[in-house]
Amino acid sequence: MQRFVIRQLIRLAAGLLGAVLIAAAIAASGEPAARDLPGFLTAFLNHLIQFGRLNLGISLVSGTPVAQELARYLPQTLALVAMGAGVALVAGVPFGLLLALGPTRRIAAPLIQIITATPVFVSGLALAFVAVHVLHWPVSVNAPVATPYQSWQIAALPILTVGLAGAAAVQLVLRRSAALSSEAPFRTGLKRMGLGLIEIETFYVLPHVAAGLAAGAREIVLALVSATVVAEWVFHSAGAADLFVKSVALADWNMAAILLFVFAAITFVVDFLGQTIAHALAPGGRP
Amino acid sequence: MRTREVSLASLIVRGLGWLGLGLLALAVLLSDFLAHAPAGAAIAGAELSPPSQAHPFGTDIIGRDVFSETLHGLAATGVKAVAAAAIAIVLGGLFGAVAARLPRPLALLVRGFWGVLAAVPPLLLAILLIGLFGGGFAIVAAGLATAPLGFVRSFDAVDVRSRHAEYAHATGIPGMILLKRDLTYDFHNVFGSVVARALAAATIVISTASFLGFGAPTRDLGLMIAASKISFFSAWWTAAFPALALILLILCARLAAGLDEGERA
Repeated sequence: MQRFVIRQLIRLAAGLLGAVLIAAAIAASGEPAARDLPGFLTAFLNHLIQFGRLNLGISLVSGTPVAQELARYLPQTLALVAMGAGVALVAGVPFGLLLALGPTRRIAAPLIQIITATPVFVSGLALAFVAVHVLHWPVSVNAPVATPYQSWQIAALPILTVGLAGAAAVQLVLRRSAALSSEAPFRTGLKRMGLGLIEIETFYVLPHVAAGLAAGAREIVLALVSATVVAEWVFHSAGAADLFVKSVALADWNMAAILLFVFAAITFVVDFLGQTIAHALAPGGRP
Repeated sequence: MRTREVSLASLIVRGLGWLGLGLLALAVLLSDFLAHAPAGAAIAGAELSPPSQAHPFGTDIIGRDVFSETLHGLAATGVKAVAAAAIAIVLGGLFGAVAARLPRPLALLVRGFWGVLAAVPPLLLAILLIGLFGGGFAIVAAGLATAPLGFVRSFDAVDVRSRHAEYAHATGIPGMILLKRDLTYDFHNVFGSVVARALAAATIVISTASFLGFGAPTRDLGLMIAASKISFFSAWWTAAFPALALILLILCARLAAGLDEGERA
């Protein structure tokens, strides 16, 4: 276990270092002096040194320190990703387990293919349409909010959009994991040893399936972050993902570089945690 | 017997996907003939008309025929997606194959670089590249953003430690001939699936980037849906038909690629 964690920590450190280098390159590309290679390299090294001193620079659009902007906008995005992950697990886990059973999967397959083929921005707009015409909810932060219930309604749509995108990833990871576990050779061995089906499922299969889910955390978090960018844009939610889009559009490379680093870091950290949990749950090799 | 049944079902589904892509390609090729009006042509006095015999998909906020616009938008999206998919496969595959032939530490370094890129959603990567190099770079950006897919597949397939590579080394075939042989050998079986998968991924990235305002200047389906944001609550057809066309394109590509339900392209 210790060796595994150390190996994963090295992977995490290498990933974060790579993300820092890419962030420094992006920030340097926005410098006026970076028009030729020597100028770019000087700016790149300068940004690396500044990042090392935890100086993230100044936002070219707002004129405020990037760290301050990050502290202002990031919590909202992290909350959206976390709540979306909650919805994704609540919707995706039972769905994935249900679909792991052959007949249900065959019936639901065409519907799931259509849902998966729907881009997140189309899902978001469809949800907004249903919210307005069927549920009579307000759909944007720009809409007048009279009661706490209305503010909850406004917050619910981006969470649902992100959650549904994540649920598709969760059910897939879970289904794959369950499929591999069902074919695992240890099942036959345990049956021969005289263990009952419930014992095998509870004490041997379930940890393997959960390990598979944890190991697929990277795939799930990528789906969640990608959906968050679109959800914040569609529903006018002022978070870090929306800020990234605006920063790129306005060529605020200091801001965009740090936000890109943050999104990559989230993926690396979640992947590290997922792999470690998976290893702890199924040390002998997971599905 | 069961395996045979499953593979037959899978073949039928893939065939349906390719058939759908073929029909969509035909519609794109004939879009100028099938469309009722040229791209962007507005009809005065017909703003936001609901679907009717004259305008099967209705008209938009400035009186453009949504059916014609959807066909033109599908053509624009399809052309961009095919070009981006080609870039993703060629660049990603080539980099992967070359990297797999590099000395091990260097190969791992290159793979690490692509690994960092793969830790960022392709959409963000595409937006960043378009922001850095301009809207005219949108197709290349979408191709590069989806290239890690081709890179990883190629790298894994042409890894120096693979049994096939050992065999090729043993035969004494050097350099580019070996690389060509690897590419032919590996892509021979999976080429169709890789193309369709890259097409699905590139279509999603390109249309979403367009929706967010990072597309090339031509009016594609993503841009059409973005433009309908102000009218679709009262005139659903302005967004619904372009969205359905987009979903159909991605669905056909997904089926042709043989992707699992829920699997990201």
